[in-house]
Amino acid sequence: MKGLSLQGVCKRFGGVTAADEITLDVPAGRVTGLIGPNGAGKTTIVNLITGMLALSAGRIVFDGRDISALGADRISRLGFARTFQNIRLFKEASVVDNLLIGFHKLQQSSLVSNILGLPAARAETARIRAMAHDLLQRFDMSRFADFPAGGLSYGHQRRVEMMRALAASPTVLLLDEPVAGMNDVEAAELGRIFLEVAASGIAVLLIEHNIRFVTRLCEQVHVLDYGRVIASGTPRQVMSDPAVIAAYLGS
Amino acid sequence: MEFLLGYRPLFDVFLLHTGYALGQYIVLRAGVFSVANAGLSSIGAYLAAGLTLKLGVHPYLSLLAGTLAGVVFALLLSWPLARLRGVYQAIATLAFVQVVLSVNVFAEPLTGGAMGLNGIPRVVGTWTLLIAVGATIYLMTAIGATRLGRAFDAVRQDEAVAVSLGVSVTRTQSVAFAISGAVAGLFGGLEAFHGYALEPNQFGFSFLVAILSYVVLGGRRSVIGPVVGTAVLVALPEIARPLAEYRMLVYGALLVAVIAYLPRGIVDTLLDYLRRQHMAARAASTAGRQS
Repeated sequence: MKGLSLQGVCKRFGGVTAADEITLDVPAGRVTGLIGPNGAGKTTIVNLITGMLALSAGRIVFDGRDISALGADRISRLGFARTFQNIRLFKEASVVDNLLIGFHKLQQSSLVSNILGLPAARAETARIRAMAHDLLQRFDMSRFADFPAGGLSYGHQRRVEMMRALAASPTVLLLDEPVAGMNDVEAAELGRIFLEVAASGIAVLLIEHNIRFVTRLCEQVHVLDYGRVIASGTPRQVMSDPAVIAAYLGS
Repeated sequence: MEFLLGYRPLFDVFLLHTGYALGQYIVLRAGVFSVANAGLSSIGAYLAAGLTLKLGVHPYLSLLAGTLAGVVFALLLSWPLARLRGVYQAIATLAFVQVVLSVNVFAEPLTGGAMGLNGIPRVVGTWTLLIAVGATIYLMTAIGATRLGRAFDAVRQDEAVAVSLGVSVTRTQSVAFAISGAVAGLFGGLEAFHGYALEPNQFGFSFLVAILSYVVLGGRRSVIGPVVGTAVLVALPEIARPLAEYRMLVYGALLVAVIAYLPRGIVDTLLDYLRRQHMAARAASTAGRQS
């Protein structure tokens, strides 16, 4: 299968089971939703996929290759990108500088040319800088290029993080509550971008709280509660599932 | 001219210490809280001096050997250090500095023990030091403008983000360590060939604190920070000479004041201030055009 697939993934922290036999697919070209109440283990799943946490059991397969045991930076170089639930930008650095690091994976200049500042390394920096400005234009953020990222409004900071994740043209994009704290207009705007991204062939996993938002973007939704998938299907199917209603509203 | 020549030894000290400060700066920039540079400089100094004194190796080849030794020991150290963070790295590297110090004292046949090494040919003068410092500043600036410098900055500011963007923390920090080891080893060697003699405590705890102070006082982000920090702290005891025995008190008070009021160091605080002024001016001019 093209895309990402989790097969019986488990994660235990001491006695707590944060992920219990999770099996789900994130196919290329679509936005797959993962919802669940607070503390259901959604962020743990992102951390497991990206290699920030080691699996206790199970496998994670990407384009037919087992990536369960790879280090986080290796997984990233395979084409994985993520955003963080609490925005993590380099606050004092300018917006452009925040984006430049997003291109790290694409760069190929040798270590020696970097240490000595040879023309090859400098030309690469100039090229990357131009790409960052293109990206800013695409997201209509050019006017903020030289501002310190920490001084931007919340919505704009989210955008910068999104651009940084998209900089290296990922094949898998993991979005950890990307519209938290945004109003409906801002969220809808970002939602359009997510659909565009998925349409270009990227496998997108959208982790959300906001059920309405997920319903609009996803054909396939998985619901997580206490580390287990309690329902999977189309948004309509899932929403009428008694187990899901119980998890969200109490029985 | 006479007057300036009188300050030449002080200027040489400034140049040597600028080199040490830059070696310290580059590891801090990559987010490694290492104070190993004193030990690495000691290794570079003793190896370079020993090779020339005992085996008659040409001083410049000895300097090269000292530099390489700095790199090798730095890489060896970076391996266990990759498992540690923050203050634990500082403690582990402090232990390394003490080990080097003890070995220097006990390996008497090689290092001269507590007496140190004497009669080292003085082949390094102000010009050689100027060239070495110039080259080091160039390197540090060049690295800052490339992929490697961006990786250093990313790892220092947020490891999780760096890793999620494909930056290997271990590799990046090892490279920073190796560069720092090269600079530390080189300037250790230069000091050996500049001062006729070496003694083990030269590279002890007070040396380590001095180097760290240069970077803290000047600033940790821009390359000019450590240079300014060194200039201030090397010149200070001379400027405060009339205060006689209270000189070190001024030194200490200045450091405390800077840490309390300019935690980012003199140069970085100034640069941030100028950048804010610039952005404010630009914002005002765009607002003016729109209205």
